[in-house]
Amino acid sequence: MTLLSLDNVSKTYGSGHTEVKALKNMDFSVEPGEFVAVIGPSGSGKSTFLSIAGGLLTPSTGTVKINNQSFAGLKKKELAKLRFKELGFILQSSNLVPFLTVKDQLILVDKVQKKNLSKKKKEDLLESLDIIKLKDKYPKDLSGGERQRVAIARALYNEPSVILADEPTASLDTNRAYEVVKILAKETKDNQTATIMVTHDTRLLDHCDKVYEMNDGVLKQIR
Amino acid sequence: MFLAWKEIKYSKLRFSLIIGVVALVAWLVFLLSGLAFGLASVNRLAIDQFDANAIALTDESDLSLTQSKLLIKDAKTVTGDKTAYLGQSSGVVTSDNLDGKVSVSILGMEHDSFIMPKVVEGKAFTDEGEVLADISMQKKGTEIGDELNISSSDKKLKVVGFVENGKYGTLPVLYMSIPDWQELKFGQSDPTDNGLVSAVIIRDTDALNQTPAKAVKISNMADFIEKIPGYSAQNLTFSIMIGFLFIITAFVIGIFIYVLTMQKTATFGVLKAQGMTTGFLSKMVISQTFILAALGVLIGLGLTFVTAALLPDAAPFMLNDLNLVIYGVVLVAVAVIGALFSVASIAKIDPLKAIGGE
Repeated sequence: MTLLSLDNVSKTYGSGHTEVKALKNMDFSVEPGEFVAVIGPSGSGKSTFLSIAGGLLTPSTGTVKINNQSFAGLKKKELAKLRFKELGFILQSSNLVPFLTVKDQLILVDKVQKKNLSKKKKEDLLESLDIIKLKDKYPKDLSGGERQRVAIARALYNEPSVILADEPTASLDTNRAYEVVKILAKETKDNQTATIMVTHDTRLLDHCDKVYEMNDGVLKQIR
Repeated sequence: MFLAWKEIKYSKLRFSLIIGVVALVAWLVFLLSGLAFGLASVNRLAIDQFDANAIALTDESDLSLTQSKLLIKDAKTVTGDKTAYLGQSSGVVTSDNLDGKVSVSILGMEHDSFIMPKVVEGKAFTDEGEVLADISMQKKGTEIGDELNISSSDKKLKVVGFVENGKYGTLPVLYMSIPDWQELKFGQSDPTDNGLVSAVIIRDTDALNQTPAKAVKISNMADFIEKIPGYSAQNLTFSIMIGFLFIITAFVIGIFIYVLTMQKTATFGVLKAQGMTTGFLSKMVISQTFILAALGVLIGLGLTFVTAALLPDAAPFMLNDLNLVIYGVVLVAVAVIGALFSVASIAKIDPLKAIGGE
């Protein structure tokens, strides 16, 4: 079963002599429990790839399917709903709401989907990420590593099919970065989600099942 | 509500300041409305007491009670369920017990007519030479039994009782008999058909539907009150001030909320990427504005009641519950309208910026 697939996806910016091909006829898919890394220099199209996979950007050609549902033809609101249900985002930084405590970041998800998960489920999740003791703290009181663990908790909370991580370790030192990637790998296996991590840090690839390299809009599997 | 409330709790100082601004504006609006209502009331209270539908004045007086001199002969042609003659003039009163001179409005009426005010102290006048005074005259030193001197007349009038809400044209009213009033106004009384009164007050829902003598014109009470000298000008002045305060509130709140929304652009971008809709985020901003405005209005209301208790009696300040509710609701409404500007900017926030960016 494929959780996310991109079939023959291209993305072109501009037209005529200003035309830039950010993605060229890309095929890509991930299975449940797979932890995939995409590396590549900046400007190679990594962000475009992640934006298209996340339904934030419409491809020029080709189709994107998440959990067998195509993004094509969806209204803005339906697309937002699909993103909310099927995707978890972990971004470089500032992806937590600054005025919510760790616990409230999760409660916000309840409020949006209008269904309350049990307190136990929340606590188990925080426990498994070893941040239960931080549940009443605000993001500004957390270290970079703690913040990313909360972001992971937030991303996992509504049980998405796919987690998209955009340079999740960019603001962390080596030890913290390893720790975060290890947690991501573990949660991917435990929850049978698919995780796609975009990074330029090649030291972090040990925990990944597959590694792709992006170069000038072309994606190539290197491991 | 969840996000809205959590943010208010997180940035207490910032939001307290906004609530403070709303409270001050609300306070000002409520105070002005109290003064407007109070001033309007002291212009018309004595007339309101009549509980009448219409008034008959001379056609040439252009609804001015002071200018209207109606022959009793003509006044008799006015009909209605209940009718009463009214004489009106003004004067300056002195007496032994009074502190200096007091300007008063003088109303003449028959002691058995339906427009006689309710006496709260003493008794109603029955004979010539007796008067009822507004209770505010008591605070100035007048007592029952006092002899009052009226300016430009050697007539002495004895106070026999007090009434409440006896105010006309912002002045306290002296109520007296028609002959006394005629003597004060014209120098002599004349009870015959050739005598004069100022107006006939009519209590009859169908009062306008009649043809009295040619010199007489019957008007609705409301139209007459609008024409009390200075009345509509005062009301317009206050209405304009209050109206502008509403507009200012919309802008001030609108700008505050807009700045706060701009500061949250990054957060909103991330939330949108995570799948929260513009509608959800707009609801947060709108409900936040609602909370801020409602709290501000409540605090403003509290300040208003404190002020009302501390204001000197001389200030014509009167709070009207209905006005307070309406103005409070309008304030909250215009604040929310001001916040709608921010909804447009939330719609424009691109979730794409959350990816690969700062």
